[in-house]
Amino acid sequence: MMRITFAKVLQGAKISPKHLLIASRNQSGEVKKPEKIEVFIDNKSVMVEPGTTVLQAAAMVGVEIPRFCYHERLAVAGNCRMCLVEVEKSPKPVAACAMPVMKGWHIKTDSEMTKKAREGIMEFLLVNHPLDCPICDQGGECDLQDQSMAFGSDRSRFTDNDFSGKRAVEDKDIGPLIKTIMTRCIHCTRCIRFASEIAGVDDLGTTGRGNDMQVGTYIEKMFMSELSGNVIDLCPVGALTSKPYSFTARPWEIRKVDSIDVLDAVGSNIVVSTRTGEVMRIMPRVNEEINEEWLADKSRFSYDGLKRQRLVTPMIRDNKGELKPVDWEAALLTVAKVVKNAGSKIGAVAGGFADAEQLIAVKDLLNTLGSEALCTEHTFPLDGSGTDLRSSYLLNNRIAGAEEADVVLLVGTNPRFEAPLLNARLRKGWVHNELEVASIGPKVDLTYDHDHLGDDPQVLQQLINGQHEFSKKLRSAKKPLIIVGSETLERSDGAAILSAVQTLAASTSVENKDWKVLNVLHKIASQVAALDIGYTPGVDKIREGNLKVLFLLGADDGAIEKSDLPPDCFVIYQGHHGDHGASIADAILPGAAYTEKQATYVNTEGRAQQTLVAVSPPGRAREDWKIIRALSEIVGAKLPYDKLNEIRDRLEEVAPHLTRYGSAEGANYFKQAEQLAKKSKSQLDCTPIDVKVKELQDYFMTDSISRASPTMAKCVQAVLKQKQSKYCD
Amino acid sequence: MASAAIRRGAREVKPILSLDLDESRKRVLNLYKAWFRQLPYIVKQYDIPMNIEQCRSVLRQQFTNMIAYQDVRLMDMMVIKSQMELKEIVNMWKQKGHVMAYFAKDTVEPKPKDFLSKFLSGKD
Repeated sequence: MMRITFAKVLQGAKISPKHLLIASRNQSGEVKKPEKIEVFIDNKSVMVEPGTTVLQAAAMVGVEIPRFCYHERLAVAGNCRMCLVEVEKSPKPVAACAMPVMKGWHIKTDSEMTKKAREGIMEFLLVNHPLDCPICDQGGECDLQDQSMAFGSDRSRFTDNDFSGKRAVEDKDIGPLIKTIMTRCIHCTRCIRFASEIAGVDDLGTTGRGNDMQVGTYIEKMFMSELSGNVIDLCPVGALTSKPYSFTARPWEIRKVDSIDVLDAVGSNIVVSTRTGEVMRIMPRVNEEINEEWLADKSRFSYDGLKRQRLVTPMIRDNKGELKPVDWEAALLTVAKVVKNAGSKIGAVAGGFADAEQLIAVKDLLNTLGSEALCTEHTFPLDGSGTDLRSSYLLNNRIAGAEEADVVLLVGTNPRFEAPLLNARLRKGWVHNELEVASIGPKVDLTYDHDHLGDDPQVLQQLINGQHEFSKKLRSAKKPLIIVGSETLERSDGAAILSAVQTLAASTSVENKDWKVLNVLHKIASQVAALDIGYTPGVDKIREGNLKVLFLLGADDGAIEKSDLPPDCFVIYQGHHGDHGASIADAILPGAAYTEKQATYVNTEGRAQQTLVAVSPPGRAREDWKIIRALSEIVGAKLPYDKLNEIRDRLEEVAPHLTRYGSAEGANYFKQAEQLAKKSKSQLDCTPIDVKVKELQDYFMTDSISRASPTMAKCVQAVLKQKQSKYCD
Repeated sequence: MASAAIRRGAREVKPILSLDLDESRKRVLNLYKAWFRQLPYIVKQYDIPMNIEQCRSVLRQQFTNMIAYQDVRLMDMMVIKSQMELKEIVNMWKQKGHVMAYFAKDTVEPKPKDFLSKFLSGKD
């Protein structure tokens, strides 16, 4: 969707009534609040603000008007007509979703006329809808099914007199994630509106009119968005369904478990659907502060990676150099012997999926053994205050705060693929809030227009000195945000970049004291918890430590190689996938993936959340903190917790916010952090700022779970194929 | 005092089957033989996971466990009960589980209690 703001309308831009509605709705918040008006829903009086639609007014008194096309997070289309209701003294029923209420209206949501209108609409919809509910994946969770039961006629007048068959539409191929059965489409246009408004990929649209109308991509192409899976949830019928999930389970035979996604650092809330001890699908759960009701494709579809390449049994490398499966007793005894001999020459590297319980258990064990070599795989500048002040490494202004911003500066980050839901927020601000975005780093498509200030780190210095033309905008902004990618801070001049950004953030003029300008966007789920607990970012300590034993806690990104370690160093890999880390290990202790354990993760805002057990770990795999606890007993340095509650008490001792689930613990001391950072001697160098994940094909496979997922592999292939198409821009 | 009580009891009771200790002893031996001969068929028909030798030693154990009971009426009563059991086995009125309960006590392993054994067995 093009951004058509109110300002542009005033300058005489062409605008459709649809856009006017959005513009006027947004504008209403800024003007002084006018008086409320009274309307009556089924004779119940309700005071509403002018501009409220009939449907919203009805929702206020708890009357839900049936709808197909209306969706509260999308623009109003008003084309399904299901929400028709009677308004007193109006000759015709009105579409509740699009009609603003007028003073003193009596709206009847349960009258004869309303009922007749709904029944008629249902009949028309069903005349053009196949009766294939028994083989439809939406069956059981289908709006059309439910509403035809509630509001439809009990008999059909559809007779196919000339045996021509019902309306049939050719299916489209829009990629490996979304299955289309376009005959079932009722033309609600939710998917089209989602694609253009939220995903920012104007691929979907309609062709034809009336009975010949079709929803599609005009030419056959893939729906190239990192948020594409959401159209499956939006589709009120079975026209768009999940390809990997198709024909695998029914909603009534599924067990649903609330959980947290760990494939990026956003910590989206999810529902894991399981059946027969298998994850069948993952869907988003509403959390207004994090993911609203959307979910990124990697989080949604990479669950089949949880069934492949799994480590299911402990393994020890034998004298021929092969990893041989052993039982837990043998594995723990072998590992314990090595650990005992190592003394304090022992270290640990935490990877992206390590949970807080595991991190604290490993830290306690290593500390009792006399070692402080606890590191995270991804580094962070340690100059100045380093990670002592939380504000230096958090997304301080929260994810939801991003949509209120008026100027955003992205430094070395591609939020579209590092945190798709944060990017959706930024896009929301850009569409509705006149947000201006500028970026330093490689030129990438963010789905919204932004000033590309180049990829030279010196631009930061120019911004600080006020030499750059963008610095005026940044300084005059009321709600500016600076979002720094954690990847950029891993550079050799990361400390200088952080210091520059801190200075830049301090130079802005923010009126609101609660508004925090400096934000760090992490890429992996474990990082914030690890830093909160007290892990040292970066693996330098491991390289220099001359270690005898190294624990890899799911460290698969290759930060540490066999060649970085002394030749006699014994590597223990604890994790759930046979990936890079497992291949260099001498002993493997199989752990549980995020769907298989109750564990704490802290997202990039500093919000602690917990996953719940959806399925049991495969084979002999165990919950991660328990492995460490068992090992500690054999080593002879028994950790003082046996149960989950006990280890969580320990977590609370270390950092109380880690067990306050759901709430984001804010941080402060920006000034102090900035002053300390100024003492650092690190200088900005001249190498251009780069990010790893630039385009959609880079996005799908970034960690051990998604690398093991066949669906993600198909996505990469499909995107590469699409990129070669002559229609691809 | 105890002997006085026995005498008083002995005076008043009616015999069940045997009149004296000799007779009841014969009954016990007969019962033992009947069980002993039946054992191969029990093992075969009920398909229990034991061999005949093991069953014999269990049988002998069962009888020697009762050697302390030398009361005639008590012996008769136990013989009658045991004969009933045997009849139920011979007629296939019992099932495998019932028979196993004679020969193999407690097959259930105790649940792990401490953290390490829970961890190793994978049970919580």
